Amino acid sequence: MSNTETTATKSQRTERRRWNGTDLGLIAVFAALVAGAALVPGLALNGFGVPITFQTLAVMLTGLVLGPARGLAAVGLYTLLGLAGLPIFSQGRSGLGILAGPSAGYIIAFPIAAGVVGWLAVIVIKRTTKARALWFFLAATATSVVVVHTLGILGIALNSKATLEQAFLSDLVFYPGDIIKNVLAAAIAVALHRAFPDVLVRRVRRQAATTGKA
Amino acid sequence: MRGHGFLLANYVPGTSLLHRSPLALKFLLVLACGLASFIIVDWRLSAAVLAVLCGLFLLTGAGVKRLWGAVRPLVPVLLVVGLFQGWQLGAPTGARIVLNILVCIVAASLLTATTPVQQLLDGVVQLARPFERFGADPERFALTIGIMLRSIPYIAGTFADVRDSARARGLDRNPRALVLPVFITSVAYARQTGEALAARGLGEAED
Repeated sequence: MSNTETTATKSQRTERRRWNGTDLGLIAVFAALVAGAALVPGLALNGFGVPITFQTLAVMLTGLVLGPARGLAAVGLYTLLGLAGLPIFSQGRSGLGILAGPSAGYIIAFPIAAGVVGWLAVIVIKRTTKARALWFFLAATATSVVVVHTLGILGIALNSKATLEQAFLSDLVFYPGDIIKNVLAAAIAVALHRAFPDVLVRRVRRQAATTGKA
Repeated sequence: MRGHGFLLANYVPGTSLLHRSPLALKFLLVLACGLASFIIVDWRLSAAVLAVLCGLFLLTGAGVKRLWGAVRPLVPVLLVVGLFQGWQLGAPTGARIVLNILVCIVAASLLTATTPVQQLLDGVVQLARPFERFGADPERFALTIGIMLRSIPYIAGTFADVRDSARARGLDRNPRALVLPVFITSVAYARQTGEALAARGLGEAED
């Protein structure tokens, strides 16, 4: 019994994983967009010098536009290449050395956040037709609080050996900027889904239709 | 940002011992330094490791300027961390924390300074090979990396163009007018790339 079950899930997984050329193009271009957003100079405002950049905007948008799997792949590709040594992290930094610095938690949080917000975006697209921008905004904000800020605070605390309280306080500077960036990301995601419904909206509907039949 | 100049940012050509040692070995060195920063508890030992790594860096012929360039963005942060932790936990502990971060940074720049970007990327693709049995496809992975690298200068160029046209319409303070066209152009570009790949029979998963 258990045997047939595992083969069934395996084939389902490979089917979901099979991306065509357009998917690869989208993953690559969105990874490049996150890299481009990081190259726009950021502001180092908080005490531990983690810079504020357009990156989180690009990360959230990637998830909202591409959905969970491709969003995770795009931001994961960006993170992987940055860690491998391409100078595509904020301020032109790169390399595994980043993992020793205070930004480490945020960098690790980015791919996870893109995946989580993508998963929420699929739910929003399935359930709502009106006020999608508001739901996208709420999804992005919830994700940034739960994933990005939590891991970011842990990273600061672990690498600069500060207490969680101090790390939490230094992380607070990011909230106002995050709200603005998430509003922008939600507005842009809605506009992109309107311009290119085949990227995610139709895909979700098709999926909903087939699971509905089954 | 037009062109691929940024890809050469870190590499320094040379024939030193580190240039010749295999990528896996250098990667292990960086990994070991990362682990050491959790294990070493004496600042003098950290300082010694840092001195050895700086010596290795200078031996590669990359020069003091590049070494400083790798460390410089972190100097203000390290100053804050060092002073704060020195005040809270005592000077030796503060020094140890700062030195350990520096050890990791210098080790990572050693890797990027002595390895051409192409070799680094090949290394990343190699890392995907063990996952082949789980459905990963190194060829398609490499293809995606290639498309991404080609897209970065294109997107940076698009951003400059969009900013110019927004300014011409007097919209250079409207963030939506500044950012949305960049994303629209980028998605259109991604789909064109996908169609071009399909037309050449590239990027399709093998059945």
